[in-house]
Amino acid sequence: MKRITEFIAKETDGVSFKTNKFCLDLISNSAINYEESNSISLDQYGETVKVNKTIDLSDQSLKMQGAEPLFKYFLDGSRRTYKVDDIIYEKKVFPIVAGQIGVGCCFRENKQLKSAILEMHNVIALPESSDKDGNFRENYFENLKNKICAIDILKKRNITFSKVLVYHEKKLQPGQRYENFGIACIQDEMIDKEKQVVASLARNDKLDQNSFLLKDGSLEYKKMKTGDYKDLSVIKSNYQSVIGASKSFNPENCFDERGKSNASIIAKLPLYHRTPAYLYTSHITGDVKFAIWYVRIRDSKFTYSPFDGILKLEKILITESEQENGLESELINIITANIINERNPVCYGDDSRWANHLYPIYLTETFIKSKYLSTEYFLNLF
Amino acid sequence: MQTKIIGKVAATENRPTTIDEFYFWTSKNLILNPFDVIKVSHINDSTTYGVVEEISHITDTPSYLTSYISNDFGDVNSISNTERIGMNYIKAKVVGNTKNIYIPVTNGSPVSMADRLEVEKALGLDNIKNPLVCGYIQMYESADDKYKVTLPISLNSDFLIGPEGAHLNISGISGLAAKTSYSMFILKAIQEKYSTVNNENESIAFIFLNVKGKDLLAIDEPNKDLDELDKELYKMMNLTDKPFQNVKFLYPYSTNNYSNSYASKDLIESQMARHKVGFYKYIYEYDKDNLDLLFANIDDPAQTMDSIINFIISAQGNFGSIKTWESFRNEIDDYCKAGNNKADKEIQISSWRKFKRIISKSTKNPIFSQRAVVEKDETRIQDSIMNIKKNDVYVIDIAKLEETMQSFVFGDVIRNVYDLKLGQTQRDENDIPSKIIIFIDELNKYASSDVPKNSPILRQLIDIAERGRSLGIILFSAEQFRSVIYDRVTGNCSTHAYGRTNAIEISKKDYQYIPNVYKNMMTRLKQGEYIIQNPVFRSVLKIKFPKPVYKQFK
Repeated sequence: MKRITEFIAKETDGVSFKTNKFCLDLISNSAINYEESNSISLDQYGETVKVNKTIDLSDQSLKMQGAEPLFKYFLDGSRRTYKVDDIIYEKKVFPIVAGQIGVGCCFRENKQLKSAILEMHNVIALPESSDKDGNFRENYFENLKNKICAIDILKKRNITFSKVLVYHEKKLQPGQRYENFGIACIQDEMIDKEKQVVASLARNDKLDQNSFLLKDGSLEYKKMKTGDYKDLSVIKSNYQSVIGASKSFNPENCFDERGKSNASIIAKLPLYHRTPAYLYTSHITGDVKFAIWYVRIRDSKFTYSPFDGILKLEKILITESEQENGLESELINIITANIINERNPVCYGDDSRWANHLYPIYLTETFIKSKYLSTEYFLNLF
Repeated sequence: MQTKIIGKVAATENRPTTIDEFYFWTSKNLILNPFDVIKVSHINDSTTYGVVEEISHITDTPSYLTSYISNDFGDVNSISNTERIGMNYIKAKVVGNTKNIYIPVTNGSPVSMADRLEVEKALGLDNIKNPLVCGYIQMYESADDKYKVTLPISLNSDFLIGPEGAHLNISGISGLAAKTSYSMFILKAIQEKYSTVNNENESIAFIFLNVKGKDLLAIDEPNKDLDELDKELYKMMNLTDKPFQNVKFLYPYSTNNYSNSYASKDLIESQMARHKVGFYKYIYEYDKDNLDLLFANIDDPAQTMDSIINFIISAQGNFGSIKTWESFRNEIDDYCKAGNNKADKEIQISSWRKFKRIISKSTKNPIFSQRAVVEKDETRIQDSIMNIKKNDVYVIDIAKLEETMQSFVFGDVIRNVYDLKLGQTQRDENDIPSKIIIFIDELNKYASSDVPKNSPILRQLIDIAERGRSLGIILFSAEQFRSVIYDRVTGNCSTHAYGRTNAIEISKKDYQYIPNVYKNMMTRLKQGEYIIQNPVFRSVLKIKFPKPVYKQFK
């Protein structure tokens, strides 16, 4: 039975190397993510009430305990990437990167989580050279995908691939690898699927001021204006009731009014306090502004690092007023108090990032992971 | 009935499905009980049936510490917005497949509740030969009415009263287990089934020993407190709600000064009016051979008591000419006197004195008498038993007799039944009931592992347990703690009924082959619930039975 890589090599007039197949993913357990690029200046407030100190939300969150929680939907996206082969085009060797993308959304009813939307996709990322003609690229790769799906090894197992992605062939800078280009385009595809899920929720009126969506990770999509969902005004309206919660962030990107790093304001954040919200304009997205703030949901005496137990929260500023004056401080307080009330149960013992994890997000992530094909199974298709 | 899918089979690395068992997950709110039957769709359009054995609840909490931390590090007032994900998983034992396919059920196969016909098929109840009802089961008790299943349970009587298997042993705590009521339920079902059978090989007579109060002293009178629900249950099981028929009560003879029974005067008089009474006596001339039975619970390692009994029975000394119990006691007195030279030199005076101590209290009881006057309903147990007929029920009251006397009477009963079945009678063999069922409660008094090994009653009980099946002597016995009963007695019982018992009892080796969950259920059984083990059932069954059909004394 012909394997996928052999088929691709034949179809694209390349030569398959049949090299070692392996998973490319690395899992970071640290709350500190030094690779995060966005920098936040503390002099730019992202909220209406401007104070220069942390805000205690313990009373507010306590009062809200037992009430209907603000967050009803929980979104997480993840992908697994694999280097499945090396292929030669014109004496140049390129990796073939394959991936499994999972985007899941769960909703909460009577304290129990149920699946709302699940998108599972298998994709392959090939270099540009795999299309020898370069014309009608979309059609070419769509056809290639259809042909791949028709091969026996996939048909027998009832497995399909939803897209053949293309990564650009740039001259590699020191430290750069083609694999990373492949991973990046699979990541972009995952983000597009996430945007698609948010759009679907918004279109079906699932989200409103009493029914927020909590998304795992940042809302700052690197490719906000690409993919199938690139109309910014539509994106913005879709994200009216969406909060991004990041487990890991780069505290070094927090600057004080003098432009110096001010990670300590986050490290010393007292329990159930939030920082003031800061305004952040994404360099990547251009004219999309975010309110970003941090909240401590676990006492630092129980965590390994002072940054464990802190979540970075963000919300896209939608209206002109919001973009000029920042988000209503009261809304930020309500959102934050609700986040604090999401602190229990914990996934201690199952996930080393337990202090930064919110259980509904963790469950959504677990749900998606349970749907992946096993690495061995997936790799053996190639 | 609608098929309701309640979960799916889960085969994991650690817990694979096997030929014998499988696991399935289900909602944490679905109430199932051990013994409920469930069905699984299997390959080739077949259906595998399973019986629920264990039910566990699981969440994604990896440790107790996680649970503690999830409550804000031990804050009991902590409230969370999301409940931990949790579900129940159930271990089920495979009991059958519609196409006899026994390869393990596959992961993800849907599991559903079974309907009545499927439950019957699953438990092997659909094709029982010689059915004898032994109770009813209720399944999915907590489900909606449309899913509930109630059906009578029958066992193959060949495996209860022979020839394939015989004897029933019932164990359980006094009162809570309702052992007597359950024994009577089955015995009544047997009487109903066989009273109309004309096959001479299936003629049955019954002998019950009443050991507690007035328990069995009105089994021929209807239970006026039987409610409609119970009557419906009897109807459902194809049984009448009438009491026992052809009953005769044998009371120990009493005098005006000495009462040997808890039965009231009114009760006895009403039974006498119906000619259902006999007063049993022991006459020295005929019953001296049973003296050994008075020593059933006496440890006699040097066999001195045995020697004395042999001495008497073999009519040595003056014992051959003695006709009454009084002369007998006087003669014994003589042997006990210092310096007597009557006795065999090998039997010491101290042994005669010990003998005297044991027999003198018992033999002064009015049942040890000169003669039995038939006109006054007086009888000897031997005479009564030798004349027992098909369908007769003899209730022999021994409740008020002291323990040694109880053993004596019980020993005499089984000895006589043995003699009858072994042809020690002038009766036509075809006239003798082909099977005689003896019911005795508190078996521990006669067959516990503490009873001396040379006890004549224990020897007889073992003999009945081992050979009774072929002789047509069937033993229905009951006791509080099965574990104390001599192995050779319980081991030969084909059917076992376990009522409510306690945790210490189930930890004994007698229960080692019963799955843990069933053992634990034994400590929680309600009155009127039993766990039944019989060779024809594919699994042990938890059955229920309605209130007794005969009069209950409060």
